[in-house]
Amino acid sequence: MASAPTSKYNSHSLENESIKRTSRDGVNRDIGEALPRLPGETRITDKEVIYICPFNGPIKGRVYITNYRLYLRSLETHLEFSHGVRGLTTWSQLKDASLQDSALILDVPLGVISRIEKMGGATSRGENSYGLDITCKDMRNLRFALKQEGHSRRDMFEILTRYAFPLAHSLPMFAFLNEEKFDVDGWMVYNPVEEYRRQGLPNHHWRITFINKCYELCDTYPALLVVPYRASDDDLRRVATFRSRNRIPVLSWIHPENKTVIVRCSQPLVGVSGKRNKDDEKYLDVIRETNRQINKLTIYDARPNVNAVANKATGGGYESDDAYHNAELFFLDIHNIHVMRESLKKVKDIVYPNVEESHWLSSLESTHWLEHIKLVLTGAIQVADRVSSGKSSVVVHCSDGWDRTAQLTSLAMLMLDSYYRSIEGFEILVQKEWISFGHKFASRIGHGDKNHADADRSPIFLQFIDCVWQMSKQFPTAFEFNERFLIIILDHLYSCRFGTFLYNCESAREKQKVTERTVSLWSLINSNKDKFKNPFYTKEINRVLYPVASMRHLELWVNYYIRWNPRIKQQQPNPVEQRYMELLALRDEYIKRLEELQLANSPKLSDPSTSPSSPSQMMPHVQTHF
Amino acid sequence: MEFSELIRTGQAQAELLRGPEMPPLRGTLCVTGHHLLLSPGPQATPDLWLLLLRSVDSIEKRVAGDAGTITLRCKDLRVLQLDIEGVEATLDIARSIEALSSLESVITSFPFFYRPKGLRLGEAWHFHPPERYYKRVARETRAWRLSEANEDFSLCPSYPRAVIVPRAVDDDALALSARFRHGGRFPVLSYYHAPSGTVLLRSSQPLTGPQKRRCADDEELLRAVLAGARPGARGFIVDTRSAQAAKQARMTGGGTEAKAAYPGWKRLHRPLERGRPLQESFVRLVEACGDPEQSMDRWLSRLDGCRWLSHVKEALSTACLAAQGMEWEGACILVHGAEGTDSTLLVTSLAQLILDPLSRTMAGFQELIEREWIQAGHPFQLRCAHSAFSHTRPKHEAPIFLLFLDCVWQLGRQFPLSLEFGEGMLLALFDHSYASPFGTFLCNSEKERCLCEVRTRTHSLWSGLNQPKEQRKLRNPLYVPNPLAIWPSVEPQSLRLWQGLFLRWTHPPEPSEVAWEKVWQIATDQEKTEGSQPTDSASEPQP
Repeated sequence: MASAPTSKYNSHSLENESIKRTSRDGVNRDIGEALPRLPGETRITDKEVIYICPFNGPIKGRVYITNYRLYLRSLETHLEFSHGVRGLTTWSQLKDASLQDSALILDVPLGVISRIEKMGGATSRGENSYGLDITCKDMRNLRFALKQEGHSRRDMFEILTRYAFPLAHSLPMFAFLNEEKFDVDGWMVYNPVEEYRRQGLPNHHWRITFINKCYELCDTYPALLVVPYRASDDDLRRVATFRSRNRIPVLSWIHPENKTVIVRCSQPLVGVSGKRNKDDEKYLDVIRETNRQINKLTIYDARPNVNAVANKATGGGYESDDAYHNAELFFLDIHNIHVMRESLKKVKDIVYPNVEESHWLSSLESTHWLEHIKLVLTGAIQVADRVSSGKSSVVVHCSDGWDRTAQLTSLAMLMLDSYYRSIEGFEILVQKEWISFGHKFASRIGHGDKNHADADRSPIFLQFIDCVWQMSKQFPTAFEFNERFLIIILDHLYSCRFGTFLYNCESAREKQKVTERTVSLWSLINSNKDKFKNPFYTKEINRVLYPVASMRHLELWVNYYIRWNPRIKQQQPNPVEQRYMELLALRDEYIKRLEELQLANSPKLSDPSTSPSSPSQMMPHVQTHF
Repeated sequence: MEFSELIRTGQAQAELLRGPEMPPLRGTLCVTGHHLLLSPGPQATPDLWLLLLRSVDSIEKRVAGDAGTITLRCKDLRVLQLDIEGVEATLDIARSIEALSSLESVITSFPFFYRPKGLRLGEAWHFHPPERYYKRVARETRAWRLSEANEDFSLCPSYPRAVIVPRAVDDDALALSARFRHGGRFPVLSYYHAPSGTVLLRSSQPLTGPQKRRCADDEELLRAVLAGARPGARGFIVDTRSAQAAKQARMTGGGTEAKAAYPGWKRLHRPLERGRPLQESFVRLVEACGDPEQSMDRWLSRLDGCRWLSHVKEALSTACLAAQGMEWEGACILVHGAEGTDSTLLVTSLAQLILDPLSRTMAGFQELIEREWIQAGHPFQLRCAHSAFSHTRPKHEAPIFLLFLDCVWQLGRQFPLSLEFGEGMLLALFDHSYASPFGTFLCNSEKERCLCEVRTRTHSLWSGLNQPKEQRKLRNPLYVPNPLAIWPSVEPQSLRLWQGLFLRWTHPPEPSEVAWEKVWQIATDQEKTEGSQPTDSASEPQP
């Protein structure tokens, strides 16, 4: 009896979850087919196929393709576990046998597809050797076998290619067709003026400038920038000539008390000859002078020293001691986008479809993924510590200042400013440091683009989210959001259902009228906030988080990278969170009831100062000292 | 012998460093018969720092100028440094600690002197007698009886006085079976699985020897086990050695059950590491965790190389195998290795935690440890004489009980609501099994405990732990009784290093403790307002 499965144990339960989610959002369902559809989603075709599930073997099913998703439902209810518990088989075999359960469902947004290949030819022999191989961006591959007769594969291949890679076929991305409606408008979440005002800007050292209103100063920066009060617009223009892609140093964040700042930019155009630029030198000095506590400015170059030197050959470089004598320069040894891409590829190799079991930890080490995470976190910790304890203003750049720089500034801001640890605060952080400052989402992710081998693709944003997850593991009470929040952001980083991550920079987004023509991911999240809340969250102002960036304390994010493997599913959804939510809800209910009772008996119990019912008094406040 | 002969100095001025996160303590250092004391003076808080000398695993002294430094590595994996004024004083204190921390005599150990306020001697020792478990079994089936054939420990010196055996087998047959088993450990009942009516047994290896001897009474005993379960029931013998090791054991008089001699029983070999390799794995892991080297780019392969997590994986999967045999196959399971006092107990106790909801309660877990480890004759005195820091070559030391605790921790991590006790309980058990003011983990067997009068002259750990003030540390505030079996995932990516233990003293002030405290507050608030038990609506997902 005790073995009766209590949870739906489907190897794709996350996808089931997304069905639940979409249906709550008011999704239409074709009644006959049980195919979930978003408003604006249209059905293109359907076909009988065999899904070669790497965990359960071949499964016959019907696949539906819409302009948004690939949806597969298995035809027979599958593999009850009565078979094969004969003699004592191995533990994992037995467990697999117990996993099979009802119809299998696969729900894949076409946006996650990075590559579609034909496998086998018309004359291929052997069972299920003819069909399609689909490589996805979210750590899995899909394989379908089809019947060899009647061009069935060609149709499916062409339709999938068309809708998964709309750019190559002059088709719009689904985000522009999506007609979903939400109660809240996610595009309203980030308002740069409000965000800078929250930081206390402008003040007498820093001003807001609209010099980039038409993206003339720098086409990859946002329209609104915060710069030193003492630098004129002409100064800015001259500095822009000396910075790669005109990405001049501008303010990202200011410390509420000591007024030190985090400034971001791209590399200076020093070149082989070691060019100097008086305006740039003066400009950095002006930034330094906004802080009177320390007479040095700290520059963090995210790259390894050798790479920074090598960049001189292509006209780039770094700030030399003689030219910038009031600045200290440190290299943070974070590798470039190509190294990160290859590292993640290796992670996928050891986790999908099968987890490398013998020497798991050594194979994990050989991917170097956690080591890169460690370096990014270490760099961000240094930035945060310099600003907070070192009382020095900090300039952060890498080469172009849109990958590693975004990682460092956003993580440092997350450590320093508790506001960004709330759900909306985090959305603002992403919107500000990543989206508005021109992290090239379109190039890094390759939205709707068929060129799967593009050297511009790289999991830089994923790496940032992984760092956030590592922090949330180490500080379970510090973040308002939970793991599901981070995962849904990553899911829609690829899905193309929302406009949030489309295009490379603000100017392109404006040209395409993204905010008018598409829905924001934050609309979905903010109208469903409870689902993404961390029950352990304790709001604390002014607490700086310094995560431990030692390898001993970093873990592979199993619930994300290995989520397709049914054998690790056990811990989802996190039962502690569930239980805790229940307790919290119960408590709130009792507090409310108590208040009502007290109101009813108010003559006796009206003294508010001694009333135990006030929620703020009941709320335990936890403090940790650093 | 008087302790005063071993204490070479009265006192000295010293400064104590307790790791990166704690402020140093300065004061007067003093060695007593069982403790090292540091008194920082009456104004300081806390006004006294105390270390049980028994918990010192290794000691290292260095002198320079007119001062000295003593580094104490403790059995709970803590590293302490004492800076002492005066060379003589340093050497004297070091020598005193060395002598006093390695005293072998049980009856002069601290538990025989420890008389805490609020506890009465003899209390709690009768919390978990074997008879009590028999009563539970007897409610379900008549096939088993409580035998007192071992009343005077003559059948088996490492068994308790009373054991549970098949009703159909009389005491004379038990005596003969005992003579056919290593150390006299004939098959006895470890756990009765009521839902399937099957049983878990444990024993030691049969003494078949090179001539492949047989013993009719031993064979009859196992036949009676199957007959008592249900007609046609089958059995599995889980041998915790490899097939080859079991075969080799014949050369030294041991061996394994011949197929033909035990109809209905099938043998499975699941080799588990024990003894020296396990101890070495533990030492390497502790070394890696304590390595102050900051560049840890080889950390994961080093962790892999320690093989500790593979031992965890093997132990859990063998326990799963035994548990499945009962729950899914309806088969009886006999577990043994060679001596039947180490990996055997690891497997039987873990299998019970997986299957038996009662063993996952606070009281049930204590009973499980008392019954399956202490009374079952795990030689704690030998295995836990030293922990990971000792310089002496290990003789009988092996962290098999720690491995058990680690496996339980993994279960708790995967099923965070299903255990009534929390990490604090497991840490306390680890600490007390290596050095304790309580008598529970003293000696190697019931026989020795009787000789030393442990039960009447020392306090039981259970009475210490069950005091109300300890509960918040030990219990799991989110516990919800789960009537189902809990099948852990044993894939390598599902198993974690137990940071709470292995990085306990190097980890910065633990934010997870903050979360723990918060959960407690909410849970108690909720109980206060509601005044009743939480609902059981949140049961955990099952694979």
